[in-house]
Amino acid sequence: MTWLRNPWGKPRWLALITGIYVLWSVVPVLIAIAFAFNAGRSRTTWQGFSLRWFTGETGSVLHDPALRDALEHTLLLAVICVAVAVPLGVALALGLQRWRGRGSGSVNSLMLLPLVTPEIVMGVALLLLFLRVFPGIGLGTEAQAIGQVTFTLSYVVVIVRGRLVSIGPEYEEAAADLGAPPRDQLFRVLLPLLAPAIVASAAVAFAISIDDFVVTQYLSSDASTTTVSMLLYSNARGAPTPALNAIATVGLVITLATLAAAFFVYRRFAGGKEATSLATLEV
Amino acid sequence: MPGEIQLEELTKAFGEHVAVAGIDVEMPPGEFFTLLGPSGCGKTTTLRMIAGFERPTSGRILLDGNDVANTPPHQRNVNTVFQSYALFPHLDVAKNVAFGLKYHKLGKEERAKRVGEALELVNLTEYAHRKADQLSGGQQQRVALARALVLRPRVLLLDEPLGALDAQLRKNLQVELKALQAELGITFVFVTHDQEEALTMSDRIAVMNKGLVEQAASPKAIYEEPETVFVADFLGVSNLLAAEAIGNEGAACAVRIGDRVFHCRQGELDARGEVKVMIRPERIGIEQHENAGEERLPGIVERSVFLGGSHEVHVRVLGGELLKTMVANDGRELGVSIEPGAAVSLHLPPEALRVLRPSESATEQAGIEEETLKVQAPDEPQPAPVPPGPPPV
Repeated sequence: MTWLRNPWGKPRWLALITGIYVLWSVVPVLIAIAFAFNAGRSRTTWQGFSLRWFTGETGSVLHDPALRDALEHTLLLAVICVAVAVPLGVALALGLQRWRGRGSGSVNSLMLLPLVTPEIVMGVALLLLFLRVFPGIGLGTEAQAIGQVTFTLSYVVVIVRGRLVSIGPEYEEAAADLGAPPRDQLFRVLLPLLAPAIVASAAVAFAISIDDFVVTQYLSSDASTTTVSMLLYSNARGAPTPALNAIATVGLVITLATLAAAFFVYRRFAGGKEATSLATLEV
Repeated sequence: MPGEIQLEELTKAFGEHVAVAGIDVEMPPGEFFTLLGPSGCGKTTTLRMIAGFERPTSGRILLDGNDVANTPPHQRNVNTVFQSYALFPHLDVAKNVAFGLKYHKLGKEERAKRVGEALELVNLTEYAHRKADQLSGGQQQRVALARALVLRPRVLLLDEPLGALDAQLRKNLQVELKALQAELGITFVFVTHDQEEALTMSDRIAVMNKGLVEQAASPKAIYEEPETVFVADFLGVSNLLAAEAIGNEGAACAVRIGDRVFHCRQGELDARGEVKVMIRPERIGIEQHENAGEERLPGIVERSVFLGGSHEVHVRVLGGELLKTMVANDGRELGVSIEPGAAVSLHLPPEALRVLRPSESATEQAGIEEETLKVQAPDEPQPAPVPPGPPPV
């Protein structure tokens, strides 16, 4: 332990352990991605490079109806989730930021509850809700969308409120001082300043929606409401082909691209420090 | 001339905490008016009430005779320069300055002309298309000024606008701001905790303490004729001696300090009993120890600090109190040793001695202090709610 004796030395052990960990966590994913490009049917033996599982005539992501529908349904849910959760979350964040009275504290901690509730608990609870309390909605796409919005909303609120706190009340006051009525204070000043946080929270909501399995699975009805994650789960032990790896790869690329885009937008407009904190929250 | 502000019985309480405790202030039109006081004295809250960001708990704010206490900020013809400037970071300098003009019915050309004039006024024409965060602190401050002045307000409110700048820039901007105010003839209401800033810039100063105005007068009057112990102590350096007022002798008030009697010609000459006697260091003469007698107080030099233009000499006088005196470094022979340990005699001339009533304001202040120190109790920590179990099936 040289660093005990020499605190100015290079942290070699730290670098080594970190390196091993990164390798350990990334390698399985890389292997899975690699086999998406396998020319054969095996998911364990390399048989040459090919794009057949992405674009081939049969059994590919593009042409197998089950896979393609799953991908489409996943993206549909993600878009609905973002379209509902983001405006709702921004409005909620603004409201909570201004609410100074009795009960604001408990609502604040309640907002964080979905972040720490085990997802399976939420899944079961939502299932019972749609079966017993709102049977009119029933299971399926609507229920899945509502379920996803329920817990992605918390992320949106947390991210937007974080930005609101760092913005502070002064810009709004300045706008009011210069003659802007409340509507303009919101649209000419506050929302432009919140834009990076809104983009970031949209990306996070999108990524979470794509990745979600538990809630989406509980609230699904039939094959038409199967998502990529559900498909991966149910087929992993059946007769899997590298097409599963291919669809997982597509999902991963979409998620990463969204987050990367959001990260750069956020950094462009809000400065590097906050972007880093956002990235940490994300991981 | 428009731009007169009158505050009547203005009060602001945040829960239990009374920030402004009923003040009456007249701010004449076209003057540079300063609200001066230590942090927490209520000066910023007062400014924010004039701007409209805080709603008074009670009292009236008259702007040219109309009560605007319940008018929202965007409908008041006053503008603010914020402490942190609050320039909109998503807009460039010109758009920041043009922001408020949207709410004035102006043609496009007129608007551009006004923006150009405002930027010219603060010498920032070539920075029109920079973003706010690409400017230095002093430049940002000037943009904030231009953004407010372009709307031609009746009153300009400035909340410690020089606080974030370094000393040299601050000095320059003090002069510039004062010149600008004189040129435009707009009423400026300036908030600061810096007494020097207040003295150099203001036409009139209101010294605030614990939510109340202690004294409102010209800088000279505030410095030369402080009415309360707080004002005497807050502005400049003061020696405050505990004394007992024993009676009038002609135009003077006789006070007993220790076992000696002095005559005071300033302040509350009719006071009796326990008082404070105040004297500025530069008004105390320092003489040889042998010069005892009338108007003299003997003492021992405890410390002597060289300040360049002067010496500050601390003298422990008979009775145990420490007096600060100033000796100008003007090349003349002092004829007295000011080394620590030297025995000297201090000359306290009657025209420099000022009687202040301590008791009245002191007890009153103590009462308020207790109240103001009671910070609003934070919300009871709420136990995290338990996640609901599955509903009965």
